[in-house]
Amino acid sequence: MRASDLIILAIRNLLRRKTRTVLTVLGVVIGTASIVVMMSLGLGMSRSMVELYQSFGSLTTISVYSYGTDDNTKEITDETVRSFARLPHVEASSPLLQVDVEARSGSAEGYITLYGVSQEYLQQIELGSGRLPAPDQAELELVYGNMAPRMFYKSSRSGERNYGDGEILVDPMKDTIFYVFPEGSAAQARGGSGASSQASSAGSSAPSRKKYMLPAVGMVKGGPEDYNEFSWDVYCDIDTLKTFLKKIYKKNLVPYPRTNKKGKPVNYYVYNQAYIFVDKMENVSLVQQQVSDMGYQANSNMQWLEQSQQTMKMVEAVLGGIGAVSLLVAAIGIVNTMMMSIYERTREIGIMKVLGCDMNDIRNLFLTESGAIGFLGGVTGLLASCGVSALINRLAGSIEQGLGPVISSGGGISYIPPWLGAFSVLFAIGIGTVAGYIPAKRAMRLSPLAAIRNE
Amino acid sequence: MSSDKTKPVISVRDLKKIYKIGTNRIHALDGISFDVRRGEFLAITGTSGSGKSTCLNMLAGLEQPSSGQITILGKRIDRMNEHELVAFRREHVGFIFQSYNLIASMNAEENVAMPLVFRGVPREERRAAAHKYMKLIGILDQAGHMPAQMSGGQQQRVGIARALVIDPDIMFADEPTGNLDSATTSEVLDLLRRIVREQGKTLIMVTHDAGIASAADRQIRFMDGRITEIIESRTEAADDTEATDDTEGCIGAAGESV
Ligand SMILES: Nc1ncnc2c1ncn2[C@@H]1O[C@H](COP(=O)(O)OP(=O)(O)O)[C@@H](O)[C@H]1O
Ligand SMILES: [Mg+2]
Repeated sequence: MRASDLIILAIRNLLRRKTRTVLTVLGVVIGTASIVVMMSLGLGMSRSMVELYQSFGSLTTISVYSYGTDDNTKEITDETVRSFARLPHVEASSPLLQVDVEARSGSAEGYITLYGVSQEYLQQIELGSGRLPAPDQAELELVYGNMAPRMFYKSSRSGERNYGDGEILVDPMKDTIFYVFPEGSAAQARGGSGASSQASSAGSSAPSRKKYMLPAVGMVKGGPEDYNEFSWDVYCDIDTLKTFLKKIYKKNLVPYPRTNKKGKPVNYYVYNQAYIFVDKMENVSLVQQQVSDMGYQANSNMQWLEQSQQTMKMVEAVLGGIGAVSLLVAAIGIVNTMMMSIYERTREIGIMKVLGCDMNDIRNLFLTESGAIGFLGGVTGLLASCGVSALINRLAGSIEQGLGPVISSGGGISYIPPWLGAFSVLFAIGIGTVAGYIPAKRAMRLSPLAAIRNE
Repeated sequence: MSSDKTKPVISVRDLKKIYKIGTNRIHALDGISFDVRRGEFLAITGTSGSGKSTCLNMLAGLEQPSSGQITILGKRIDRMNEHELVAFRREHVGFIFQSYNLIASMNAEENVAMPLVFRGVPREERRAAAHKYMKLIGILDQAGHMPAQMSGGQQQRVGIARALVIDPDIMFADEPTGNLDSATTSEVLDLLRRIVREQGKTLIMVTHDAGIASAADRQIRFMDGRITEIIESRTEAADDTEATDDTEGCIGAAGESV
């Protein structure tokens, strides 16, 4: 029998019993729709979770820490940062050189941390205006986080800090800002040993420290309310920063250098923190493990995301399982319909066998009929789920607006990716075919004598 | 070729069928032997319950014999499995039913073409073949009618066209006129005789009615699962097919008992 004839015959048989076919298909529609909607909720939740983690920072970045000062702690030096970059799957690495400075612009002031990072790091920053600092310049250029200007305040006479009440006090791209760098441990040591009586008046000597006017060449993208991982900080090129600090702190290199066993400052850079940029999300935990094995503290957003994702997988499985129960009921409905159809068509099947219809063709006819029920139910169920999904998202969207931007789920809490659509239809066809298998086998074995008997 | 002509199309030897109902054993067929010649119209006759249908069903491979041999076109039917039997019917056998057994949801043309669907014949070829045989039988004007819209005689004609459409070597008919009135019965019988003659088919027909059986070339009478009598009817069949057998046919017509 030709496949085209088989399909036409199957469809004609289904149309002969319209009401029953429609009811059986309806069962599959409900089953498919409940699976798809349930899974779309799970998927929507994990998608907004990924988005949430992404807003915390890149999912392919690993942070490495070394804050301890005892001998066991491994130091992060330029050499270790370079060794990170040589690990497989690592695209680049960057040390993080931090300097806390006092900033002043007109009557506003603020405490700001400058972050010296590599060019690779800087390139990850999405700018709203201006440009990135060029590598190894004579002049120290800064990139401001879009929320960083909110750290400036004005002091009232009573000493209260006024952060501007939503009004931005300083525009780094336009206003001139002066920076005062810390005295450093060398100066404190001198003060401590030479003139201990003057230690209390250290504060009054502050104005004598040199002010530097540093240009801001770029701003991170986003308004003063749009958070991202670069929003609150001020960045500059690490090599330029090193050169700049050397001028102030000479041999110490940095304001507060590590000291060796003899109490002398070390003659290389020691970082508290470094970043590793991995090529793909999947490789993050592997690289992170290697860094931990090297003796460093490391963490990544991916690590937290993976943990949450495992929980989400469970939630998805439970939701999908709830949906699957109704599809199981639908499958039983298909079995029932096909069984009834066999009893009704016993004579017809007998005639077909007497006329020479191959037994496998009879089996395939029944499988096609039940598969077609699955297909119709699957497609209709998918369309229904898309409707329900849109409805859920609209309802959830209006609730969310009331709550404010507490939970941002850009694409809605119900999400049907293309693979889920394809999967659900194939799954419904599969369920239909499997449900039709026992009835089909039975039809195939029916005796042709049923056609001969005269009722 | 000549040996092929003299060789029987169907050969039955010591065929037995025993039904077990509880502890009872019913000998529906109790050692039957006969041959069927090519191009012959054979009637199996006898009272109700004598085993006619059982015999025909086993010839068509619808039932398994308890013992004995059935050879059709040189093939041992009794040794075939169900798949082989279906394939054998598909290639060589046309079947005509008492209650017509048309598919109610299909029109006459589709019913006639049905066996060709099982052979995987393309649609256009099927249409052509169905038209050819409906025209032959004189029901071409009914092609679009549904079975429910047709009289018994018309339905049985569709049934006959359906049996013919695969151009079978052998046709089986179990009480083909059983549901028809007497006028229609003689029309259908004439049609069957014409087909055997013109198309060169071998036809085996079961009937309990001696009058109907006499339309055949030869009658085999059954009684309690045994053959009691073989009657050669009028000799015109023998005249047409085997002119040399003329005298033997006349003698045979007097009747021979087993
Ligand atoms: N499936 C069966 N099971 C038990 N007994 C049967 C079956 N089919 C036929 N018989 C019996 O076999 C005998 C012959 O039946 P059948 O061939 O139908 O007779 P006929 O067609 O000549 O009227 C009858 O006694 C009938 O009751
Ligand atoms: Mg009978």
